[in-house]
Amino acid sequence: MIDVKNLTVRFGGVVALNQLTLKITDDVVGLIGPNGAGKTTLTNALSGFVTVASGSASVNGLNLIDMAPHQRSRWGLARSFQKVQIVSDLTVEDHLATVLDAKGANRSLRDKAIVRALDYAGILSVRRVRGVDLNPFQRRLTEIAKCLVGAPRVILLDEPGGGLSETEMKELRKVILGIHPEFGAQILLVDHDVELIRDVCTSTAVLDFGKLIAYGPTAEVLEDEVVKAAYLGRMGAAND
Amino acid sequence: MIQTLSRNNLIILVVIVAAIWLLPLVLNSLWIKVVTSAVIFGLAAAGISVLFAQLGLINLSQIALVGIGGWVLLRLNYATGLPFTISLVAGGIITAIISSILALPALRMRGLYLALVTLMTAGAFQIIFNAFQFPNGGEGFWGVAQQSAGAFRRPLIAQSDVSYLRYVLTVAALCIAVAGVHRLTTPGRAWAMIRQSEANAMAAGIDVTFFKMWAFALSGFMAGIAGGLLAGALQQLDARTFVASDSILLFALAIVGGVYHWLGALIAGLLFKLLPALFNDFGVSADLTLVIFGAALLHAIMTAPRGIAGQILSGFAGLVKHRETSHD
Repeated sequence: MIDVKNLTVRFGGVVALNQLTLKITDDVVGLIGPNGAGKTTLTNALSGFVTVASGSASVNGLNLIDMAPHQRSRWGLARSFQKVQIVSDLTVEDHLATVLDAKGANRSLRDKAIVRALDYAGILSVRRVRGVDLNPFQRRLTEIAKCLVGAPRVILLDEPGGGLSETEMKELRKVILGIHPEFGAQILLVDHDVELIRDVCTSTAVLDFGKLIAYGPTAEVLEDEVVKAAYLGRMGAAND
Repeated sequence: MIQTLSRNNLIILVVIVAAIWLLPLVLNSLWIKVVTSAVIFGLAAAGISVLFAQLGLINLSQIALVGIGGWVLLRLNYATGLPFTISLVAGGIITAIISSILALPALRMRGLYLALVTLMTAGAFQIIFNAFQFPNGGEGFWGVAQQSAGAFRRPLIAQSDVSYLRYVLTVAALCIAVAGVHRLTTPGRAWAMIRQSEANAMAAGIDVTFFKMWAFALSGFMAGIAGGLLAGALQQLDARTFVASDSILLFALAIVGGVYHWLGALIAGLLFKLLPALFNDFGVSADLTLVIFGAALLHAIMTAPRGIAGQILSGFAGLVKHRETSHD
């Protein structure tokens, strides 16, 4: 369970997260909101990349805020980035190996863990291909597979669907849906794509101006008038 | 891939062993000295490559670190009765520690700013070396005698210049092998992640501070060993050898030679020490080499990012491929 209490993050005069309180209990939870609502700030606060002004964020009773980013990762907090971070001269399996290196994984178990994650993500065939030679979808899957090794407890996915085609999205949906049953990690999914959120998240939180404006079962939240006004409505207005 | 790797390693091993035994036989005494210092500065250049190729960090204080390694070896030679090799390793370790302390600004800086900070460090050490000179058997902590120098001990197995060249080649090969192992294992992967993005590295659980300091320590260790080897080759050191401008020159030559392969470091060492000596031998001013180095640097930056070593190796790889396809 991810328990965020009165979390505030400021960038100079801008309040990116304003006294945010959020209890995440479901296995796959969506996080949506218009641009600048604080979605990425929340994932960054959870993974330790921004300084938190006040409040706490604990997972299963452990307060993450006091830990350095790499310690959170070793503890079991995995994340992917909005902009895919693939190293051009490392192979796919080396990307996963870095995570296991840091966690001090046993050598004999390491290869098994890598094969399992790559096989699950459907990129086992490119395990020895270097980052520079991967296509965008394989890069995306490599990043997700990287989150799966070393017994993750919580996985934060920041816009994993960005820039993918219809068929690739379908594949990605399947991958994300299977993560919890297969690897047991709780997933927080940030995305603009309402279809993706509707398909994979049992509950969804909506942020606007750093505040929680709605939270509950995904179908109900997406029908909520406040959410439509803040999120969908505004997008509609922008399209006009 | 593993097969080609081991075949390459075998070729490398054969070349190194051949060099260790053949070189001293074909060179006369002057050129043995020149090749010895070329290999020593090649080792220092290999340290530059560790930081630049693995982490993208520019270190312009490598020659100062070579000076520190040399200072420690001379100091231990005159103050204690330790064997040369032990003093050499101690010099490497102390230089590694100093180098990783110098890494502290690098935790926050990169690019031009880091280059400037390291250049200032090199300048500071240039002044310190000038002010205090190198130990030569005198009294006190600084150990500088005004008149006659004390006795210098080379390794027992390498008393003559010929056997000392073999000793230098062996030590340099070992150090470069250690750096090569780093590249292929945990630190190499961590460095690659850090180079790509520090946030991404942290998200993968990598302790960025620790691995950056480790890279500086390894680079400094190689510089320190090079300094100790240089002290052993010359049996004394002069502050004029360790000026800051030579740090810039060695960095530039590491780029020209190629930072992604140990061969590039060796080429850098040869350009740094052998080319000026050759020019002198031909009766041409050694300063002319600076003009050639400038042109070579432009060439490397514009057309050969992997340096001369990259060009040689891709030419070699092309040749092998051509032979293999013509066999089929």
